[in-house]
Amino acid sequence: MSDIDLNLQIWRQKKTDSPGSFQTYALDKISTEMSFLEMLDVLNEKLTKEGLDPVAFDHDCREGICGMCGTVVNGVAHGPEKEVTLCQLHMRNFQNGDTLVIEPFRSRAFPIRKDLLVDRSAFDRIIQSGGYVSVNTGGTPDGNAIPIPAPTAELAMDAAACIGCGACVASCPNGAAMLFTSAKVSQLCLLPQGQTERHQRALNMVETMDKEGFGNCSNERECEAVCPKSISIRNIARLNREYLKAVLSEG
Amino acid sequence: MWPIKFISSSIGKKIIMAVSGLFLILFLCTHALGNAAIFVSSHAFQTYADALHSLPIVVLLFGLGLLVILLFHIGFGINLFLQNKKAGGSRYAVNTRVIKNSFASKTMPYSGLCILLFILIHVFGFNNGPADIKISQLVKLYLSEFFYSVFYIFSFCALALHLSHGFWSMLQTFGINHPRYNNGIAKLTLIVPAFFLLFFSGIALYFLTGLGASY
Repeated sequence: MSDIDLNLQIWRQKKTDSPGSFQTYALDKISTEMSFLEMLDVLNEKLTKEGLDPVAFDHDCREGICGMCGTVVNGVAHGPEKEVTLCQLHMRNFQNGDTLVIEPFRSRAFPIRKDLLVDRSAFDRIIQSGGYVSVNTGGTPDGNAIPIPAPTAELAMDAAACIGCGACVASCPNGAAMLFTSAKVSQLCLLPQGQTERHQRALNMVETMDKEGFGNCSNERECEAVCPKSISIRNIARLNREYLKAVLSEG
Repeated sequence: MWPIKFISSSIGKKIIMAVSGLFLILFLCTHALGNAAIFVSSHAFQTYADALHSLPIVVLLFGLGLLVILLFHIGFGINLFLQNKKAGGSRYAVNTRVIKNSFASKTMPYSGLCILLFILIHVFGFNNGPADIKISQLVKLYLSEFFYSVFYIFSFCALALHLSHGFWSMLQTFGINHPRYNNGIAKLTLIVPAFFLLFFSGIALYFLTGLGASY
């Protein structure tokens, strides 16, 4: 275990429509065993004791499954380590004396609420427009009544691993939400239960995605590279197929 | 109206880029096939050119079709470029690309512009040559000239760069992404641009280096 000294440049912004700027903070003796969020906790404790406004940032489970946390660290969403969320990123990934530039996930569709905290409800509206399966309740169905091949179930599960953190949008040079939307469409369209609303789902979710102000996918592959859950762009290829089929039959 | 909804959606625009791109690649293949006659002899090339132009209706229809496809590719490309600039743009103080080899994908609009400039000069040059010179001699006249030839080779490099992202991107847009085929697709994404670069630059170098002196 060792300690490192850091120089932080953090985006501070009072509220959505107020101008923001970078503030510099020096933070000494940060244990390399800490997570990135614990490091921010230490900073906030220090700021609070000094009577200053602590840095607002989103977080919840702190074990990489809720999708609440996330900032851009030195230009990379969720920081330099692969396949982890910001809460799982440990300070051992940094060197003594490093300068860390910490910015919010930026997108036209993600307005900044305060500091590093962004409003990702555009994702919720994409889900609301079709990311569900409508089933009328009845008797308890038998678990094995609908056979699903294991590889298909695995593909659906891989897509369902998306925690909706928004790193894909934050890292996309075009601010596109294709990886998120494609994962949410894929997890349902691969399974028998998702067939009923299959076409309408693809049409509606893509329409909402476009309406929310996300950019157009140009296959830059940055999303896949920063995704903490390794969602594959194979899902984007699947969404392209889904959308084309849907628009030609029911568009 | 579904076609309007389709072309105004983000995925619809992508698919139009991919379909028009596919047609343009197919055109490049036929163009390369025709030009292969240059390596046989000037007589072979002239025979091919005469045979082609003995069917003016076909030339007109294909020319117009190609123009429409090209305009679609350029128009939608510009539209996507402007929209994405607005949605993305330079929004971070520190910009880090995690993906290596992102040069081709980053420069698509610019390599595209280089190709457009080339097409304009190429089409103008070969349609407005001196009236008394046959096309088979005109190609030698033009490409023996140093700057003309170098400009051609530079443009083919831009084309290869464009295709080194465009070819894979087109297949991804068509929804072709499968672990079984991805290795093959990655290889094709190198082979296709390399083929066009070597083949078309080969014609320019053939005349520039004097290899085609007895052509």
